[in-house]
Amino acid sequence: MATGSMKNYYKQKKSGIGKSPSKPKSKPTNKSPAISSSLGSDLAQPTVLIAHGSPDLKDEFGEDEEVLRQFDLNMAYGPCLGMSRLDRWERANSLGLNPPKVVESLLRGGKTGVDCLWDGRV
Amino acid sequence: MEIDAVAKNFQRKLSVYQSLDERFEIQKEMYRGQQYSQIYFIRLHKMRSLLYSLVEKWKPDVPVCTVLGLEEGKECIIVGTLYKHMKLKPSVLDEYSKERSVAPLVKSHNFMHPDDQLVLEDESGRVKLGGTFLAPSMFVTGLVVALHGKETSAGDFLVQDILEPGLPPQMQLPCGSGEDKYVVFVSGLSVGSNTSNPLQLQLLIDHITGHLGDEKEQSIASQIVRVVVAGNSVEITLGLLNGQALASKDQSRLSEPIKELDILLTQLAAAVSLDIMPGPSDPANFSLPQQPLHRCLFPGASAYNTFVSCTNPHSFELDNVRFLGTSGQNIDDLGKYSDAEDSLDFMERTLRWRHLAPTAPNTLGCYPFTDKDPFLIESCPHVYFVGNQNKYKTRLLRGSEGQLVRLICIPKFLETGVAVVLNMRNLECHTLSFSTHLDP
Repeated sequence: MATGSMKNYYKQKKSGIGKSPSKPKSKPTNKSPAISSSLGSDLAQPTVLIAHGSPDLKDEFGEDEEVLRQFDLNMAYGPCLGMSRLDRWERANSLGLNPPKVVESLLRGGKTGVDCLWDGRV
Repeated sequence: MEIDAVAKNFQRKLSVYQSLDERFEIQKEMYRGQQYSQIYFIRLHKMRSLLYSLVEKWKPDVPVCTVLGLEEGKECIIVGTLYKHMKLKPSVLDEYSKERSVAPLVKSHNFMHPDDQLVLEDESGRVKLGGTFLAPSMFVTGLVVALHGKETSAGDFLVQDILEPGLPPQMQLPCGSGEDKYVVFVSGLSVGSNTSNPLQLQLLIDHITGHLGDEKEQSIASQIVRVVVAGNSVEITLGLLNGQALASKDQSRLSEPIKELDILLTQLAAAVSLDIMPGPSDPANFSLPQQPLHRCLFPGASAYNTFVSCTNPHSFELDNVRFLGTSGQNIDDLGKYSDAEDSLDFMERTLRWRHLAPTAPNTLGCYPFTDKDPFLIESCPHVYFVGNQNKYKTRLLRGSEGQLVRLICIPKFLETGVAVVLNMRNLECHTLSFSTHLDP
């Protein structure tokens, strides 16, 4: 009861924690996002090797960002570098590729990153 | 009135003009670090959906698969972008290569080599094309085609047949009022060149404006409804453009040719509608599509509403006859990286490939579009012209679905003194030759 209300009271930044409370909190994950970007897809670390319920180097970004990163990495909608995510979604839409609606609503919501995960890193 | 009794007045014929340059204009595009992968993606996507629909009619029994889905010995059709691996293609990295002397010498006219190889690629992967069916000399990097064949044990794709998109669909040629209307094409005026001949050019202008010849000739001149200047209108002496800051007296030398051109164009624009396209030597941007020359360059001519500064490539409709043309860069570049009998064959190929400039952005400068490939030819023009070629050549091309296209190579006016005249009634073509040599 107490912890539940505490969670509501203190805004939690890490959404991953709710899912894996067993993860040791020993090291504060202040890794540069450049490293995590290559792990945007879980493929980099096969499920067998995941010890604590989530990839070791998983950085602090929410589920929304995860969805968007998967969208960035999906080659079916074309290269992602050099255009905003919304532009890319709209291009995919106008080409009749049926990009996920979720992505659009997230992007139009305006609370997420505007540029693709490679932006400024390559 | 008194003059009328002596000399007859001719009214210049009119025609309805509609510019279709919008797709070539760069307006809201912003450079955000995008790379050329975007334009290849769009091209592949658009052409592939087109080719898939054609493949159903071409070979309905053969399965279609991607490069990644190829299986050894299984016949199938793959659609992808061609890449031509060329030994002699210049690369900036060659300078840093340690084995410099190994590269064979480049021939004077193009970068072809018997060892050139074709590769087909799509999003999933790329595969080397084997067999003797495809002659690499015919093709260039950047084309999208469908290939029928099978994978060999060596991992190559043995090509048995090829499907190109073919001529795009065409609007019906309007059966006009049956009167002759002419369009004059000229390119390579090169005003300001050392070998420039102002008299020759003035003769052309006087002929078009109707200041030359007898009544018969004037009546023909009155049937000219439009003049298209297809690139390289000025030539700026190379010594001036060496990257150094210009002294003030050199600055006036720099603008001299443009001022002179403006005087000539003003005479034309006063008499007839005029389209001017930028070319490789004009003061416009380098990469295709070249944007219109700025009106400020032509203070005299731009005062007339008959003066239209347009893009290169340029597309327009005149009395519902559709025109499409470039100042020649696309065809010249094909000449460097592939082989054909003459420029008309290159032109015909670009129409069959439904792509105006397949070598852009590989070897031809091109704006990095992200949401379109403006060089795709979706609708077949009735007249397809290319400027700044060595010789005047023309041919009537007939497509399999009844398309009829007049192909025109416009020669450089400075070197040949030739302008090309097209009759819109029947798409017939002839030349206007001007010579100022007096020797017999």
